[in-house]
Amino acid sequence: MNSLDPRVNRLPQLKEVVLPKAPLDQFGTYEVFVQPKEGKPFQHEGIVHAPNLELAWVLAKEAFTRRFTCTSLYVVDTRDVYVSPLTEGDKNAYDLIPEITEQAGNKKNFEIYHLVKRGKQHVHVGTVQAVLPQEAMQLAGKQFNNGKIVYNVWAIATDTIRFTTDEEKELWLTLPKKKFRDASDYKGGDKLKAFLEKR
Amino acid sequence: MNTALKELLYKMADDQLILGHRNSEWTGMGPLLEEDIAFSSMAQDKIGQGLALYTLLQTLGESDPDTVAFTRNANQFHNCILVELPNQEYDFSLIRHFLFDSAEALRFEYLSHSSYEPLAQLARKIRGELRYHTLHANTWMKQLGSATEESIARLQNALEVALPYALGIFEASPYETELIDKKIFIGEAALKEKWVSKIESVINQTQLHLPDWKTLTPVYGGRIGKHSEHLQPLLDEMSEVFRIDPAAEW
Amino acid sequence: MYGGGNTFEGIKTDSLAQEDPGMLAAFEARIERGEKIEPSDWMPQLYRKQLIRMIEQHAHSEIIGALPEGTWITRAPGFKRKMALMAKVQDEVGHAQLLYSAAETLGKSREQMIDDLINGKSKYSNIFNYPTFTWADCCFISWLVDAGAIVNQLANAKGSYGPYCRALDRICAEESFHLKYGHHCVIYLASGTAKQRQMFQEALNRWWPPMMHFFGPSDKISAHTEVLMRWKVKMGTNDEMRNQFLDMYVPKIWELGFTIPDPNLKKNESGKWEYTEPDWEEFKRVINGDGPCNKERLEVRRVAEARGQWVREALKTPKTSYVTPLA
Repeated sequence: MNSLDPRVNRLPQLKEVVLPKAPLDQFGTYEVFVQPKEGKPFQHEGIVHAPNLELAWVLAKEAFTRRFTCTSLYVVDTRDVYVSPLTEGDKNAYDLIPEITEQAGNKKNFEIYHLVKRGKQHVHVGTVQAVLPQEAMQLAGKQFNNGKIVYNVWAIATDTIRFTTDEEKELWLTLPKKKFRDASDYKGGDKLKAFLEKR
Repeated sequence: MNTALKELLYKMADDQLILGHRNSEWTGMGPLLEEDIAFSSMAQDKIGQGLALYTLLQTLGESDPDTVAFTRNANQFHNCILVELPNQEYDFSLIRHFLFDSAEALRFEYLSHSSYEPLAQLARKIRGELRYHTLHANTWMKQLGSATEESIARLQNALEVALPYALGIFEASPYETELIDKKIFIGEAALKEKWVSKIESVINQTQLHLPDWKTLTPVYGGRIGKHSEHLQPLLDEMSEVFRIDPAAEW
Repeated sequence: MYGGGNTFEGIKTDSLAQEDPGMLAAFEARIERGEKIEPSDWMPQLYRKQLIRMIEQHAHSEIIGALPEGTWITRAPGFKRKMALMAKVQDEVGHAQLLYSAAETLGKSREQMIDDLINGKSKYSNIFNYPTFTWADCCFISWLVDAGAIVNQLANAKGSYGPYCRALDRICAEESFHLKYGHHCVIYLASGTAKQRQMFQEALNRWWPPMMHFFGPSDKISAHTEVLMRWKVKMGTNDEMRNQFLDMYVPKIWELGFTIPDPNLKKNESGKWEYTEPDWEEFKRVINGDGPCNKERLEVRRVAEARGQWVREALKTPKTSYVTPLA
């Protein structure tokens, strides 16, 4: 290619015509949750595509936490998120979760997320112990359903999450110092004023 | 002491700037969107670390960082040749990232105890950034180094091409003894030894294999300003706008 | 970065006749109340189709838009500009990532969308089919193309589809840095040497016509979009967006002493901007593939995809498979 762009001029010539991609040469989907500040709840931020939890975490770190404050991050395979029906108006999602009797077996932790306003993000409200996700939601309904309407509930088995380790918390330490990514580092006011006065 | 210290700071700063510049060429052209973003962040970190080191040099009497970075010629740069080589395909870029950043993380780990306090402070400050860089590199090595026949072959090939240049990172400075005696830095030989075992421990978790270290001939010269034919064009491009009027403010 | 434009051509509202009238009425009532639509809600086929098309085009515009500025990363003058531009172009790639994900919630995978882009089946913002000759062109994009995009995106962030709005909220927050950075660059060119001023004036002359095209064809000639306005897919007409942009930025350009290459540009007594009608024939020609850089932009994307293919192949494992994102 003959381009104005030196990077483009350096691109290798393709030996063959590029074949159309296989219809779905795309790998897994992982949901990303971020804690913006110490003491604040985690909230859902979006997804990354990755082959496994570990790489999903590594990629999510820059995709979702490079610009605004962050103290911790976790990812989970989308298939490991259990989702209640979505409601609207004055209908509470907890009312649509089918009753289930207490299950026998090993209990594990589930992280519970609420959507309290359509259009907003799902926010972490707490952890419950249950055998099945449906049971976890039912328990959450008793513990966290405080009169406010919940439009959607997510339950995620804690052992399916890739958390941030304590040592990894230092990954975000220089983030507040990266001012070059911040509008506040580009104040042109004085320069502009001096220029206007000179003209 | 200043001469020895400046030599150390210059080679480190030049390494960061040149590799950051090279890695930034991938922005918008990476193999997948998420990796494009991650790789760009690490390139930004490198340029930022380079800037911090040039700023230390300024306190020791050198010119301001922009002048130092954007107006010197290739023979005045002290980076190792590894970092100036063209990006080639992602296999090479990733292997270089792995080999270089492993060394860099160890270097700063030692420097965080340096007797030259400003450098020790910088090293402690950027520890989190370097931790991410090596985590990123190691995760990718483990992934691609054990995935498909093609990915393994590509990484193996890139590894063999890059290793002699990577050994050039540890080209001894004329001031090694002084730096070690004054407890400024542990020295290149000791750093290299630690690096070799680090590299081995990651490669051993993949289907890649390392050649016998004794059979490799390190590519030296970068630290004394003897570079490959690739550095001067890189610098010409980097300073194309700056040189329109070096006295102007951009 | 994204303008209006070609997105909504060829809508056939008669397809609505096949939708369940009760569901449709409930859907419209929900939007009327100002509530968001979420991926698992019922929605008319036309809504889904138009949203996919719009979000996909927006995502393509980000990834293609990374190219004309990306070329200046290796040449940016000085550390401050170099680091800012790297972060800015990276953000554009990040926006593509967010937007493809939002479109995926509607049922089209990222790979399908990228396939459609590189095969020329879907469009992206026309403005990126023009070249950046000098550093000043890059500054024009950072400041004014981003400013135009923000006008659009702030409006669209009030739209009806939850995942798109959430992506836009995040994008707009990031863009505030782009806008300030771009303006900062241009202030430095304006107050710099004669050569620097001339560089920006020339860039302004080159980029003004595509900038006027950026918001899409005049309302007089653009396709009917009433139903999309009612559904809060489209949040303002092309002319309204263009007027808003002119209102906010023409004074700032004039303040810096630059001349906008349109002798008819002025604000009339009713507060509307008047200007020479942009050349819509050129707009059509370029959007249909015959612009100065169309071929190169798609070719670069194709090469990038082809070079990355072995990496993506190596990431496929039997254990994980593609699923639609949740929100």
